[in-house]
Order: sequence, then C-alpha cells, then structure tokens
Amino acid sequence: MSVQNFPPIYSTVVEIFQWLKSVYKNISFPEKGSCLSSGRSLAPRGRRSCSSIGCIVSVPFGSHNNVWSTGRDPAIWEADTDAVYAALSHHLWSTFTAPEAKSSNEDLKEMLESNKESLKLEAMKRVVGLIAKGKNASELFPAVVKNVASKNIELKKLVYVYLVRYAEEQQDLALLSISTFQRALKEPNQFIRASALRVLSSIRVSIIVPIMMLAIKEASADMSPYVRKTAAHAIQKLYSLDPDQKEQLIEVIEKLLKDKSTLVAGSVVVAFDEVCPDRIDLIHKNYRKLCNLLVDVEEWGQVVIISMLTRYARTQFTSPWKEDNEKAFYESEEEKKDQTEATPYTMDPDHRLLLRNTKPLLQSRNTAVVMSVAQLYWHLAPKHEVNIVTKSLVRLLRSHREVQYIVLQNIATMSIQRKGMFEPFMKSFYVRSTDATHIKTLKLEILTNLANEANISTILREFQTYVKSQDKAFAAATIQAIGRCATDISEVTDTCLSGLVLLLSNRDETVVAESVVVIKKLLQTQPTQHSDIIKHMAKLFDNISVSMARASILWLMGEYCERVPKIAPDVLRKMAKTFTAEEDIVKLQTVNLAAKLYLTNSKQTKLLTQYILNLGKYDQSYDIRDRTRFVRQLIVPNEKSGALNKYARRILLAPKPAPMLESAFKDRDRFQLGTLSHSINSKATGYQELSDWPAVAPDQSVRNVEVVEPSSSESEEQSSDESDETSSDSGKSSSGSEKSSSESEPEQKKKTKTKKAPQKKSKAAAAVTAPSFGPVKTHELLHHMTGKGLSAKYHFPRQPCLYQPSMVAVQVILANSSDHSLEKIHIGDRSPAGLNIHCFNTIERLEPEASVTVSMGIDFSDSTQAANFQLCTKEDQFSVSIQPVVGELLMPSTMSEQDFSKEQGGSFAGRTVSSGALVLVSLELKESSALLTINTEKSVMASMLLRDLKQALALA
Amino acid sequence: MISQVFILSSQGDHLIYKDFRGEAGSDVVSVFYEKVTALTGDQPPVVMSHGDLHFVHVRQGGLYWVATTTSPGSSPFTIIEFLNRFSALVKDYCGSLSEKSVQMNFALIYELLDEVVDYGYIQTTSSDVLKNFIQTEAVSSKPFSLFDLSNVGFFGAETQQSKVAPSSAASRPIQSSREQGGRSEIFLDVIERMSVVIGSKGVVLKADVEGEVRVKCFMPSCSEMRIGLNEEFSIGKSQLRGYGAAVRVDECRFHQNVHLDEFHSNRVLRLCPSQGEQTVMQYQLSDDLPSAPPFRLFPTIERDSGGRLLMYLKLRCDLPSKSAAINVCATIPVPKGSVSLSQELSSPDQSAELKLQNRAIDWKIPRFIGGTQLSALFKLEVSGLSPSSLMEVGPVVLVFELPQLTVSGLQIRFLRLSPVQPAPSQRWIRYVTHSDSYILRL
Repeated sequence: MSVQNFPPIYSTVVEIFQWLKSVYKNISFPEKGSCLSSGRSLAPRGRRSCSSIGCIVSVPFGSHNNVWSTGRDPAIWEADTDAVYAALSHHLWSTFTAPEAKSSNEDLKEMLESNKESLKLEAMKRVVGLIAKGKNASELFPAVVKNVASKNIELKKLVYVYLVRYAEEQQDLALLSISTFQRALKEPNQFIRASALRVLSSIRVSIIVPIMMLAIKEASADMSPYVRKTAAHAIQKLYSLDPDQKEQLIEVIEKLLKDKSTLVAGSVVVAFDEVCPDRIDLIHKNYRKLCNLLVDVEEWGQVVIISMLTRYARTQFTSPWKEDNEKAFYESEEEKKDQTEATPYTMDPDHRLLLRNTKPLLQSRNTAVVMSVAQLYWHLAPKHEVNIVTKSLVRLLRSHREVQYIVLQNIATMSIQRKGMFEPFMKSFYVRSTDATHIKTLKLEILTNLANEANISTILREFQTYVKSQDKAFAAATIQAIGRCATDISEVTDTCLSGLVLLLSNRDETVVAESVVVIKKLLQTQPTQHSDIIKHMAKLFDNISVSMARASILWLMGEYCERVPKIAPDVLRKMAKTFTAEEDIVKLQTVNLAAKLYLTNSKQTKLLTQYILNLGKYDQSYDIRDRTRFVRQLIVPNEKSGALNKYARRILLAPKPAPMLESAFKDRDRFQLGTLSHSINSKATGYQELSDWPAVAPDQSVRNVEVVEPSSSESEEQSSDESDETSSDSGKSSSGSEKSSSESEPEQKKKTKTKKAPQKKSKAAAAVTAPSFGPVKTHELLHHMTGKGLSAKYHFPRQPCLYQPSMVAVQVILANSSDHSLEKIHIGDRSPAGLNIHCFNTIERLEPEASVTVSMGIDFSDSTQAANFQLCTKEDQFSVSIQPVVGELLMPSTMSEQDFSKEQGGSFAGRTVSSGALVLVSLELKESSALLTINTEKSVMASMLLRDLKQALALA
Repeated sequence: MISQVFILSSQGDHLIYKDFRGEAGSDVVSVFYEKVTALTGDQPPVVMSHGDLHFVHVRQGGLYWVATTTSPGSSPFTIIEFLNRFSALVKDYCGSLSEKSVQMNFALIYELLDEVVDYGYIQTTSSDVLKNFIQTEAVSSKPFSLFDLSNVGFFGAETQQSKVAPSSAASRPIQSSREQGGRSEIFLDVIERMSVVIGSKGVVLKADVEGEVRVKCFMPSCSEMRIGLNEEFSIGKSQLRGYGAAVRVDECRFHQNVHLDEFHSNRVLRLCPSQGEQTVMQYQLSDDLPSAPPFRLFPTIERDSGGRLLMYLKLRCDLPSKSAAINVCATIPVPKGSVSLSQELSSPDQSAELKLQNRAIDWKIPRFIGGTQLSALFKLEVSGLSPSSLMEVGPVVLVFELPQLTVSGLQIRFLRLSPVQPAPSQRWIRYVTHSDSYILRL
C-alpha cells in the first residue's frame, strides 16, 4: 500500500495546505498549477539553484508534486522541517489511512507510530527482518522515515538501513530526511558525521546530487580521517548516480590522494579505480607515498592499492625480464646479443621500492592480500625474484577449501611456466583423502606440471595409489595425467604404457575406458611396434561397454590394421553383429574401420563392409547416414565417383599427427593472475587487460615530490583527535617553507598520546570520546573542587582555527569526577562582552569518570588579555578565564629568503592570528653572547615575547 | 566490488538478502540455488557465472554465504576472504553459526553488513572498529540444559565438575558480555590437525601437523594477556632449546596484534585480544613428528577356500596409556561386487557396517585407549572374486579425535591477564587433535 494508490485526493491536499498555512504563516504557496509538473523536478524555476534543500519540501500526492518554498532563511527552516513533516504525516495518516487501508503491516505501523521507544525498536527490527528476507516493506516508508531524527541510536541506525533500501523507490518522501543528515554532518562526533554522509550518499535520488557534492567536498576536508574515508567512499556512489559530476569528483579524488592518512588511502584508490582509472597522472606524485604507507593501510585497502599499483607499474617501468627474453631470442645472432649487453637493464628505484614494500605483506593474515602480492611479483618482479612468493602461496593451501581451490588454480597456471618455483613443495600437492574432487583434480594438474626426469618415479608411484581411489572421476583424471607424463618425459613412456595396459584388466569400467583412451593417444604419439598392446585391447573389446573406449579401440584397429592383419577383420565381424545396438560414436568408428579394412584387405572384408554400409544407410542418425554415403562413394569404385576414388587410400590412411596432451591451464596465463576472469577461464565483460611493458620508460621525474616528509612517525588511530588532523594538512599546505616546518616539527614530536578516554558506559556513542594529541603543556581552567566535580583543562593545539581565521584554537578537556552525571555543559556569559568566542556544542550528558574533549575558538585580538567566560552545567555556573601566552597568538608564516635574510642561528617568521601583523624573530650568535631581535609593529607584544623567549632560552 | 550478498540455508531458504549496487534483481538468489543443487559432486565450484553476474560462495555453518559481483577484475580471493571474515563476525556477534541463530538476528546481521560493506566495497572487518558502531543486541537461544544444574552441588557447593566448562560455553554472542558483566571469560584452544600417510610396509611416507592457538575473549576490556608456551619450544631445525624433549615446529605465524618481545627469551606471547574469536598463532610441522603416529595397522588379506575375502585387521594405538582416542572410524574400501559382510570384533562396543553405495566397510570404535590393540576379522562375500579384486582393497582412512593432547607436544604453561582483573575472570584451556587425513596404505 503506497500513498499513490489512494483515490484522487486533491481536495484533501488543499485542506492540508490550508492547515499548514495557518501553522506556518510565512510559507508562501505558489500559484495553483504553476508547479504541478508530472516529472520529478521539484522546485519552481529559478529556485532550482538553491544551495540548501532545507528550503524545499515536497510531498507527493497522487501523481502530482506540490511544492512550496519559504521565504525564510534556510537555516531556520531547516530546523523546522522535521516538525512540519511530523505534523504533516500524522495528519496524512489520520486522514487517509483510517478506514480503508487495513494491511498486513498495520500492526507494525501502529508500533512505529507509538510513543514508546521500545515498541518502535521492536517494529524496526521486524521491518529490517522483512527486508533481509527480500520482502517488500516499502509501504511503511512514511511511518519509518519519521524516526530518522530519533535520539535512540539503535533505532536510528535501523531507520538508516531502511532508508538506504527504499529511498530510490520513494524519492519524494526520502527528501524529507535530508535535512536531518545535513545537520548530522556538522555534529562534533566523527562517527555521526561519517554515518550521516554514508547514508546521505546512499540515497539514490538525483535531485540531491548538488547536496551530495557539497557534502563530499566538505567531508574531504574534514579533520577526522574516518570522515574523509567515508567521503572517498561516497565519491563512487555519486559518480554512479550522476556521471556528469566526473570532473568535480576527480578534483576531490586528487585532493584525497594527497591525504597522508592510512585510513583514507585504500578508499580513495577505490574511488580512483571506479571514476577515473585512466588518469594515471594523478598517481605519479603519490606513488612513493602510497608505497610507503602500504604496510599500515588496513587490509582491504591494501588489496586495492596493490592491484592499482600493478597496473601503474606496467605502464611506467620497463620490463625487468627483457634481458632474458632477448638472449633466448637472439641466441644465434651474435651481433644483436652484444647490443643488448651494451645497455644493461637497471631497475627504476621506484619499481624496486614497490617490490620491496609489498614483500612483507606476504605474511598477511588476509589471503586476498597474499594473493595480490603474489600476482604483483608474478607480473612485475624479475624472474629470479618471483620465487619468494612460493612459500606463502603454499601456505594458503592450509586455508579454507574455497581459498585452496582458487590458489591451486593460480599455482596451476604458474607451474606451467615455472616448474622450479613449486618443485621443492611437491609434497604439499599430494592428494589427501579429505579433499573434494575438484581440489584433487587441480592438485593432479599441478603434480603433472611439476613432473620432470628427476621426480617422475615418485610422482608415478603417487599416481598409482590415486588410480585406486573410490572417486572414479578422480581416478580417470589420474589416468589422463599419467598419459601426459608419458608424453612429456620420454624416459618413462614405456613404463607408463605398460602400467596403463595393466589397468585394462581393472574391474572398473571407467578406469578401463579412460586407459583405453589414453593408450590410444599414446600409441599415436609412438608409432612403433605396439601390436601386442593392440592385440591385448582387441581381446578386451568384448568386456568393455563404455562407448568412448570401444570407439577408441576400433579406431586403433583401423589405423594400425596392417600390424594386426588377422585380428582386425575378426573385430569387424563382431561389430557387424552388434552394429545396430551400438552408440553413434561406436557406429561411426565401425564404418571407419570397415572402410580402412576394405582398402587394405578387401578380399576378406568386402562383404562385411558392404553389409555394414547397408546397415548404416538406413540408420536413424543422419550423421551415420551421411558418413556411410560419403564412405561408400569414396571407397567403392563406380562410374560416378570419378577421380576421388583413386585417392581414397591416401585420404583415409594418411599419417595423422599425434594429439597433444597438454595442460588445461596452458592458455590461462593470458589473464592476470588472481582475477575473476582467470578463475572462470573466460574473458568476463569489462575485464581490463594488464598492459604490456612500455618499450621506453616514461619520464621518471614525474614521481618526484619536492618535500619528502618522514611518513613513519605518523600512525593515525581510528579515533585520533580531530584537530590534530589539521596540523598534517597545514603542514602539507605550507610545505614549501623551511622555516615554519622547522618550527612545527619538534612540536609534533612533543605530542604524546594520551590514554584513550574510558569507553562510555551508556549506549549512546554519540558524545565525542576521542583521545587528544597536542603540546604537553595544559593549563587548568577549572579545578574539580571548585567546579563541584566538573574539571576543565585547556591547551593550545597550535593549529589554524577552523571556525574563523582570526581565532586561536583552544582545546578543552572536560572531565567529570563527581559521582553523578552532569548535564547540559555549555558556555554562558562572557566578558568583555564583545569577546568573540566560538563555543563548543552543548554536551548533553557527561557520565561520572568520563571525560570529553571539545574544541573552541577565541579571538584574543592579539592581546594577552584574558578571555573570561562562564562554564555552565544544568545546575551551576563557574566563571573561568583563559590567559594566552603571547606565543600562542602567533602563527608561522612563509616568506622568501630575500625578505628575511638569516645569517645563522634560529629564526622565526610569523603573523599574529587576529590582525595578521608580521612578527620576525632572529637570533644571532656571537662569541659568548647571543643577540635576540624581534621586529613587529605591536610593541607590547614584542616586549612580552622578548621576555618569554629570554626566560625560555635561559632555561635551555 | 560486491554487488549483492545473501545467505541461504542448505534447503535454499532466503535468510539474508542485501543488494548494494542494484545491478541485478533478487531473483538471482533462486538462480544460484538452482545452480548449486543441479550440480553433482561433493562441492560445486567456488565461482559460478550467470550471464555477466558471477557468484562466489563459501559454506560455513551449514549455510551458503554468497556474494555476487559483476566486475571481472576483482579478485575472487577478496570475496572469499570477505565471506569467511563476515561469517566469523556473525559467529562472534550471534554466538554460534546456524540457521536458527541467523534467523533470530536479522537486524543485527543486517546492521553488520551495512557497516562492513558500503556500496559494494569492503570497509572494515575488524571487530575492534565495528564495536563502535553496532548497536543491535544479539538474541541467543539458550535451551534449558541439565548440564547447568549438574554444576551445582548440594547446598550450592561447587562440585568437581565446575572445573570443566561445557563445550558450548564459548558459543555465545560477544556483545552480551557487556551487559552481563560478571562472566568475563577467556577460552583458549590449541587445535592440531594431522595428515599422515603410512605406506604398506608401515613406513611413514608423510606426516604433517598443522596447529593453531585460538583465543575467544569475552572480556569487555582486556588490557593485556600473556600466554606462556613450553620453554623448549623451537622454530626451525637449528635452534633447539632446553634439555628436555624439544617441542619443535617448522614454521610459525602470529596474529598481527601479538607482541613477540618476550617470545625469544621466555616463549611468552603478549597480546591485547579484541572481543571475539581470533587465531593468535598458527604453526606447522612436517615429516618429523616428535612421537610415533598414533595408529598402526597390520592387515592380512586373503581369499579363503569358499571364495570369500578374508580381512584380518589389527589396529594398534600408540598413544600414551593415559590418553585415549575417541570417535575413531576406519573406512576400508572393498572390491566391487561385495555383497555381504560377517564380522568378528574384539570388543562389544565396536561396530562395523558394510556401506554398499560407498563400497567400504566402516569400522567404528567409540573409545580407543592408548597402548592397546584392537582387531577385527571381516569375511566378505564378493561375487566374481578374482585375484585382481585384492588390488581393489584400497587404503584405509582413519578419522579420529584426540582430546587433551597435542601431537606436537605444545602446551600452554600459563595464561595471565595483566593487570589482574578486578572481577573474577575465568580462563579455559582446551587441547584437541583431529585427523585431517590419516591414510594407511595396504
């Protein structure tokens, strides 16, 4: 039951509009009909470019969209949408659904409408249960979506699950939830921001594309790496929703590729692969960084990055195999050989870097990572280095059965080209009694590939026991494998052949049949005196019922009928008796045998042949009738047959090339190892081939990055502090300046990890519980004795303030050391009254023993005057003040050497935060004394700074 | 990338279905099931195609875990590994893996899936990260069990049995421990699987042991755990330690969270386990077992005058006399045309049965004490018995379980938590060796 199914209700709509109008006085309604368009374009012309969806609300009634917009400030409206919606949908339901719409989900709807959280939660669980089973729950959309703003996180998450599933079908209703997400995007808790972005980007409604774009752009500059990761994930979702956004998205990708967080790296490479895999130029500058980060990236990201880097390397580096190939190729041509030696191959250091940095990942716990490194080595490493992956691949054989299967497939392909790689591990491929058939067959394949003169006796002994296996398909495969060994290694051909002949007396048909087929192939490759074997097979002929085997024997008789002149006609005689009862394939070979005998021994077999040809003429199968007619014309001379007749002998008894017994995996190496196409052995649509090595390496310098920063020290944690992130960002943006970075680096080293704040006991993970990094020096803001349990400390993170550039960023750690929880912690009155403070969001609840870190911004107006304000809880107010040290009011600044010529010693250039006045500090060392000079237009600041620096230097 | 994920019961019931990219309809679920059931053989191929859609599936806990993908460049490993990880997560969160537990926890699994995969891309499978997000509580079925009562002695006194935890103790959801609080437990399993091939002359052709140390942790906040192994434990052939019989393995791998700084000196593994199950250490040992293989077979096979096949089998258990093997089952392939079986077994608790469709005799021994020897005489009626029939009596496959024993000799010296937990914490240690593939050739 969806809203659309109701009878025409236009009059009711007008009613509701009237009612709404009375509630919200300044909602302006468009002229009736002006926007009743049938499509999904919602806003009236001219309003479409509106940047925030907050001012557009639409409700579908019947097939019309009725749109109204407000003249109000979007921000205010945003806060109201939920209220409007709640009222509206309540009204809707009470108006429409009461009598006629009793559906099966009525009880769920009632539960969702109820005021009790527990009932709603229970209902949502059942709704999700419906979705999980693949049942349709779309009719509950209006009832569910109301709960999107619920305070209960468990409920909220289930609503998200629902929304993502049904938003596409119920686009217009889904739009009503957008404002909730927009608000959540600004939450202080990084997880809430990320989750909001994730759901927002999963709502596949094309009208919100601009909003998504904006949200992605903002999130890509977020302080939290987790949010940036989510932004990277959102990129491909937006791209698939609206491919026209490609250019803008590539810009975001470019920006995120520069990100140094290991969390982001994997996700942005995924986005790169999806949106613009051909823009290889974006990778150049980040190549080395990605290689270096690789070990610390989470495992799923590693897989993606490795496969991307494999493709990258195949386009950017020259082949490390060149020399081997050329040598083999030009072996006879002395001159050319000299030429290749004249230019020895040297590996690009970046190529080496990739190989070196992926090697440790072979130890990964994740089989996907191990396999992707293995394929990287296979496709990129010099031939003699590939061996290092062997051990890890063999180790994967101890993993789940499914993994074993795919690993064995890949090893099978590899072992054809490089026997030596796996030979030391031959025992690992011995079949175990618990293996499934397809695993056994693959192991057999590999063992056969590995066979050589040295180990063949061991392998054959192993095969002997396999032939006895109860699993007949496997036993048959083993016989095939013996055949292959016999052709590959000439030393053992006779041994194999006699072994196979022994199998002919086996009591199992499948084994015998398979042996006959293989013997046939072997005899063909060995056209020597094997008449004994043929005679033996003729004897067995009566006992063999498998048609393929019978056909094979008949073919052998015909082919070598001159070697067994007495037996062959007798076999034909027997066949003449049973001809009609045979299978088609046997009949065809009987006709074949008859024809051949007719040509070589017509005296004995003329009548028999004619009898068989007559039988064949009236056979049910047209193939056999056809063949009979053809053979008759060919061999029996008559006036019509003409010239062909003369050549019958040459045609039928021509020497035939022996069949090749080769591996089924022979041609699989055309696919990249470890891909799906390789597994199914067919080119799946969209398979990207690995490009060939370029003949000449492209410019190497494109990968050079001006400032190489140490990447090792940066180990970001999942929930690392937010404002810490900006430091690495700012460090990057001002990377050109030697001076400022020399100042900020020791600072970074000073950072100490504070212990993770104790996990909050309440279920609401809403509040920020992030550990903080920053300069060690923290100052007391409020002692817990005076604060009745609430204590506050602050420190200056020394990063550009997020809220306004003229503000100084301050981090405040609030802790509750009382025995009861504190509610509604916020900032109250401030003095001086004009003090410009960006407050933190009100903290609803702080449990005992819990602490929380919030950031705020204060504009000190370049003075060291204290900022006084009140820290309030629900019950109390405490006056506190923050007194900045003069150094905190400065920001590092970039300038050229001409502007600031330094002779020796330390020097520093900065600007005051608020007014941006330049501050220059220089230190000149003389024999026994030092001269400290400070140049700035702010004289008060200069003297204070001088005093502070003097003190600090005296201590040092 | 993954297009859809679904879980099917072995009967083909749709348990969970989630579409991430909208590339294919939900009818593919039945397509998959048809494909799987249409195939004969013991296991269908891991990757199957249906047009442009590729199915990758694994079987865990009797369920089909299926992912579909349309992108051919993606690695099947990623998907298989993901499915295995995902099923492990579901197991951790729901307590156990079965049709019932999946059915009862729809919402939870859906939420998990939502966090783990976004638009077909795997985000994270780390339970440490996920616990920040997962809100839904697991529902676990706890059938009434007399076992719980038997732990309580008269007047509530603790009985001897409370030192033994029921084997189901570890199968409960990790999350509920947060609420119950009291039951902070750690389960540690040392599991070894051996695959042995013994030739017809009693020579050990191949002997491999794969082992792992698994920890299942229900501690809400476990700071650090120290696991002490045998001091004589050595890796590789060169470094032998101590004076006693060395416990040697060829190769050893550790979970990435394990700190090995004390390992080289004291053989102590330090780690901060996250909630749920994890494999702390994996090791393997090939060819050079510290003790003789646990079972030896002495067969005599001949034709008697009445045209019957006589098999006289003596099976010896070479375990130390205080241990025993349980659930031993020997499968002896018999020639084609076997019709009936008469048997003489050395003790009444054994049983033997001729399985005609497998063409094999199953000889079952519920409990086999170390150092003893059991024998069986099988007389087989075979139609058309010929000398070559004797060739068809194939290798004997043994399946067994060795409780409280590790073949490699690995022992846990101690399991300590530091700092010492305020609440009484219980630590359970269990050893078991399984036969992976134990073949006795005739």
